[in-house]
Amino acid sequence: MSYAYLFKYIIIGDTGVGKSCLLLQFTDKRFQPVHDLTIGVEFGARMITIDGKQIKLQIWDTAGQESFRSITRSYYRGAAGALLVYDITRRDTFNHLTTWLEDARQHSNSNMVIMLIGNKSDLESRREVKKEEGEAFAREHGLIFMETSAKTAANVEEAFINTAKEIYEKIQEGVFDINNEANGIKIGPQHSPSNPALGGGGGAGGSQPGGGCC
Amino acid sequence: MFQRPRNWINQALWKPRNPHSLEHLKFLYGVLAKNAVVTEQNRSLLVETLRSISEILIWGDQNDSSVFDFFLEKNMLLFFLRILRQKTGRYVCVQLLQTLNILFENIQNETSLYYLLSNNHVNSIIVHKFDFSDEEVLAYYISFIKTLSLKLNSHTIHFFYNEHTNDFPLYTEAIKFFNHSESMVRIAVRTLTLNVYKVDDKSMLQFIRAKTAAPYFSNLVWFIGNHILELDNCVKNDADHQSRGRLGDLVAEHLDHLHYLNDILCLNIKDLNDVLTDHLLNRLFIPLYVYSLSHDGTEEVRYQQDGRSRVSPVVSLFLLSQVFLIIQHAPLVNSLADFVFNQGPQGEALEEEQATNSHQDPSSGNPRRFFPPAETLEKSLEASIGRGKKKQKKQPNSRNTEPGEDEQTEYTEGNSTFYKDSGEFPDTGAEDLSLRSVKTSDRSRAPLVGPAHWLMGPIDGQAPSDYTLMYRRSSTESQMQGTSVRRSKPTALPGDTVISSQNITDEEKCSRAAATGVRQTETTTGFKRRYLDAIFDTLDCGNNDYEALFSLCLLYAMGKNEGIREGLMDAVAMPSVHSPTKQHYSSPLLERLLKVLELSTKQVSAVRVATLWLSCTLVKQLVLSRDQCYLQDRHVAYVEGVREAATLLLRMFYKGDEIFLDMFEDEFGKMKEKPLNVEYLTMDPSVLLPPTGTPLTGIEFDKRLPCGEVERARKAMRTFFLLRDLSLSLQLKVEDQLPLTKDSELIKENEKLDLNNSDLIACTVVTEDKQRVRRFLVIDVYQLILVEPDTKKLGWGVARFVGYLQDVEVTADKEDSRALHVQIHKPTSSVSVQASPSSYKPMPLLSAKFIFDDHIRCMAAKQRMTKGRSRARQAKMRLISKLLDMPAAVSPPSPTPPPHRTLQMGAMRMYTAHPSHQDPPPTMRKFGPVPGFAQRRASSQTSPSSRRSASPNKGRSSPKAQNRSLQHETSVEEAREAILAETAEAIPLQDLSKQGRSFPQESEKELSSTNLSPSLRPAKAPPASLLPRQDDDGDRPSYHESVKLTRPADPDRIRSISDTSSRQGRKETRSAEGDRRRSSSDGSGSRIKPTWHHGAHWYTGDTDDGDNGD
Repeated sequence: MSYAYLFKYIIIGDTGVGKSCLLLQFTDKRFQPVHDLTIGVEFGARMITIDGKQIKLQIWDTAGQESFRSITRSYYRGAAGALLVYDITRRDTFNHLTTWLEDARQHSNSNMVIMLIGNKSDLESRREVKKEEGEAFAREHGLIFMETSAKTAANVEEAFINTAKEIYEKIQEGVFDINNEANGIKIGPQHSPSNPALGGGGGAGGSQPGGGCC
Repeated sequence: MFQRPRNWINQALWKPRNPHSLEHLKFLYGVLAKNAVVTEQNRSLLVETLRSISEILIWGDQNDSSVFDFFLEKNMLLFFLRILRQKTGRYVCVQLLQTLNILFENIQNETSLYYLLSNNHVNSIIVHKFDFSDEEVLAYYISFIKTLSLKLNSHTIHFFYNEHTNDFPLYTEAIKFFNHSESMVRIAVRTLTLNVYKVDDKSMLQFIRAKTAAPYFSNLVWFIGNHILELDNCVKNDADHQSRGRLGDLVAEHLDHLHYLNDILCLNIKDLNDVLTDHLLNRLFIPLYVYSLSHDGTEEVRYQQDGRSRVSPVVSLFLLSQVFLIIQHAPLVNSLADFVFNQGPQGEALEEEQATNSHQDPSSGNPRRFFPPAETLEKSLEASIGRGKKKQKKQPNSRNTEPGEDEQTEYTEGNSTFYKDSGEFPDTGAEDLSLRSVKTSDRSRAPLVGPAHWLMGPIDGQAPSDYTLMYRRSSTESQMQGTSVRRSKPTALPGDTVISSQNITDEEKCSRAAATGVRQTETTTGFKRRYLDAIFDTLDCGNNDYEALFSLCLLYAMGKNEGIREGLMDAVAMPSVHSPTKQHYSSPLLERLLKVLELSTKQVSAVRVATLWLSCTLVKQLVLSRDQCYLQDRHVAYVEGVREAATLLLRMFYKGDEIFLDMFEDEFGKMKEKPLNVEYLTMDPSVLLPPTGTPLTGIEFDKRLPCGEVERARKAMRTFFLLRDLSLSLQLKVEDQLPLTKDSELIKENEKLDLNNSDLIACTVVTEDKQRVRRFLVIDVYQLILVEPDTKKLGWGVARFVGYLQDVEVTADKEDSRALHVQIHKPTSSVSVQASPSSYKPMPLLSAKFIFDDHIRCMAAKQRMTKGRSRARQAKMRLISKLLDMPAAVSPPSPTPPPHRTLQMGAMRMYTAHPSHQDPPPTMRKFGPVPGFAQRRASSQTSPSSRRSASPNKGRSSPKAQNRSLQHETSVEEAREAILAETAEAIPLQDLSKQGRSFPQESEKELSSTNLSPSLRPAKAPPASLLPRQDDDGDRPSYHESVKLTRPADPDRIRSISDTSSRQGRKETRSAEGDRRRSSSDGSGSRIKPTWHHGAHWYTGDTDDGDNGD
């Protein structure tokens, strides 16, 4: 499956804020939101289109790996975008944002696009963090902000795609060194001679496991 | 549920409505069963089915256990495996892996998990030969096994590691990707390995160690080493800072490696750590890093030819610093430090020789060399685990098959036996390594007394260096034996040496310390330490401090390292932070450090701020314990000398203009705010490239050389601060003069003030957002205060706003004669100031219109504010001049000298102490206390002055003259004599008082018009006569006397103070100042009463219209 660029994302934030659910919701929309089912995944990939270009997003969840310093360090460095997620129904997850952000800024390359996400916007009745607070935090730290719900899929698309747009713009501006894969950006295989022998069914199938829209 | 087994197929044939139900799963099972063969047609259906299955299973796990029962009963995982084995291509394969991911990620029920793992299907999936050339398949696969690793614990481990068949596919399959080109894959593998090591299961760890550790670690080490070579290349080929991005990645990559290694070591699995330590030391750190320390580049060709790689010393110092900063594992850091410290001159050559020998006979030893592993990790794993019979799968990692095919085969045996040995023979293997290193270092401690070159005070009689002898002997022995590169075993040493080595007692230490009094020439005893000497040699910053910075980092890191055994550092006389006593420190090292400090105080210096900073830190680390300083007197004197030089250096930039004060406070603030962090320093790729001066590179100021006069002035300030701090620390003194204003002296907002007998002017403050409040304006020493009357206490008020007077800007309102526009900037130190002042835009703290009752009051307020501003600044400038030991200083130091005079001469005049004159020369007061005033005065004054007549014409061509004078290195002495001569002949005294009165009105205009930047050019060095040591002349007129002439204070008192003070150095001026304040504020008991209200008189005299003091 050819693409113009591949962007690597990471998702960070406290446990239980719904990172892996967001990821699954984005990469495989057919997982219908159901009342009593929480389901998530640690990795996913999906193709999107920006500016007429096919762009593949690869999203890595870093959950459960915080205990090793080397791991978190490397994850940050290898990503072009990061979704920093908190739970609008839990104030403490919002309070920890500064720590997450410091970590991200310290370890990531300076161009990494960070999007702040207030998740679980469907649980309005239990809201503890106002939308304005999220906006203010984002403004203060130069982040993009959005409230989402992995459950109702509200804004999930937008969150991932807007981040990709921002990265894409940075590439157009020449901020990112796209030849350096350490930045979390990869140029698509069509620019280099691909090996057709290995294409197999993938080439013919043409659609991503979760990529199609429903 | 299964009571009607025959019926469920029928049920499953049509799709139930509820997607989350056992019925639906049964339906899906039917679909799977019917579509056992994957075809083009049913692919989408299968994918959809797999997706739904995962969903139902998770739902079942959380809601209905019968769902899982059905899944297990029907052995549905087997279907998965069958689908996989059909080579269905990416589409199905990816969905299958994702389904498994979802399954393992989301299952909360432990028994469900056990069931899933219980039949060996998961392991079959792990070893399945996927098409790993497809990055997506690989990503999902890696993610899958990583997810599995997160489920590992001492129970689940048995599903993955089979003790009987010695099989652990999860781990062995994963590590084959350890060097994959995709960073996320590598990270996942590392996560997985750490998750595996973390599991406390003896037999599993035994398997890891016995079957996989050596192949994995040797490959890992080779992989890291290749990164290093790439990094080195990048540094060598990039003198122009072009590829800093790439370099940054490589540096970060190396840090990642070290952190990973450290994470492993921190898990404290002894067996594993021993193997890892061995590989790191003997395959990477020593042969590639340490050997490169003494590598001068001349032998490069030879090395390249025979494959013995070296990196440049800068890179190796940098890398070693990182190693010691990150890794604290005692056996590793001890051995490494020991090797660096105690390796003799020909150590490497010897090893090289042996390496060559062993080249011919690989089994004879294990040379410390950085060479490729015998075979790819995959091959060695297959060999060691005995799955060689299986058909080799496509190699995902191609990097292993890198250069030197021949070498690989050559070393095959060596490499594998290497590891085996370690278990069986006590003297060769990894396990023994730490033990051995301890022995070696014990041994090396014994002859400590020997190499006088190293020690402060060798004990008499023991001076002949037995260590040297011993070392040679042992080298010869090993040479003769032609065996391992390691130093010979302790048993081969003369017994007495060994014994004495073990008996170093405190007493001995003391006696050694006592012997330090008797100094021996520490030069040539002939003993050389190859690497340590090499490190020390880089500390010469004569040409540049490129390498020195990293040597300092390294020494600092070693001193800080928790893992290095106490005593090892002491043994080479480099006490660490942990050393209980620092009685003997290495003089050669300390003197080199002092030399760095000294060089940094030169006008043209290659020492960067960071280097100086680190040197100071290291000096403290060497000689300072918690409550004691062990620095010898002569070194103390040296430090003081250097500090003196730094003071002199800064004095050259001291012009008393506005920007000087702002920069001074700014630099101090920045230094305190952002202390040196060596860890961050060693993360910065920019320092790896040759030092540069231009800020265009974006390199921070303290990591490059200054560019232009402004930065040179800033650097002089930093140098001054750092050396002052060092000197005070060494004297165990606390800084009591910096920052210039202390918080305790300041009035805070909302503080209650006694305003009885204070000058208050009522006004209405209109802020920018049109808010109007009624306030009383009070001008304190350093602050402007807006007060609101206290409702409870008559005559008291509450400070509602405070701002620094020095940052006040006031302008009259053109339309309203009762109004003033007042702006107060935030203090510079709190604003991040760019290197160039032009880009610096101060932020307003307050911007408001003050409306007064009438014009008179308005003018009075204006005058107070402007005068307050200049006085606040003068007061601070006086403090600075005291800090700089300027005896003339307390006099309002003069402001920017007139532009048409040579700057140099102007500055000289101001600073001259006039030791031979009874009366203070008028120059001291002629320059008004307000910056910019002198300029004005000099051009407008018509009073006769031979001084002026002597100079102005000379100076008209000032820019040129200045430049010339800058280049022209007049010695300080010469300059002083010249000035003394000039002042002696000149300067009538009659117009003192006039001058004193004439300035204030003018000064205001001048403030804004003064062009600041040219004045930053350094003036000539102030005369040496300023130094305290020359103050022995008790009659020397000082500032205080000049003050006496104009202000109402007790002359005798001040005189006496100044006399004592001038002998004592800088302390004095402060106390004198305090005294002056006290005496001057006598009449007014109130705190707010600014002391200078009296002072105002003597400055402003009778021209003062509004501000009538006492």
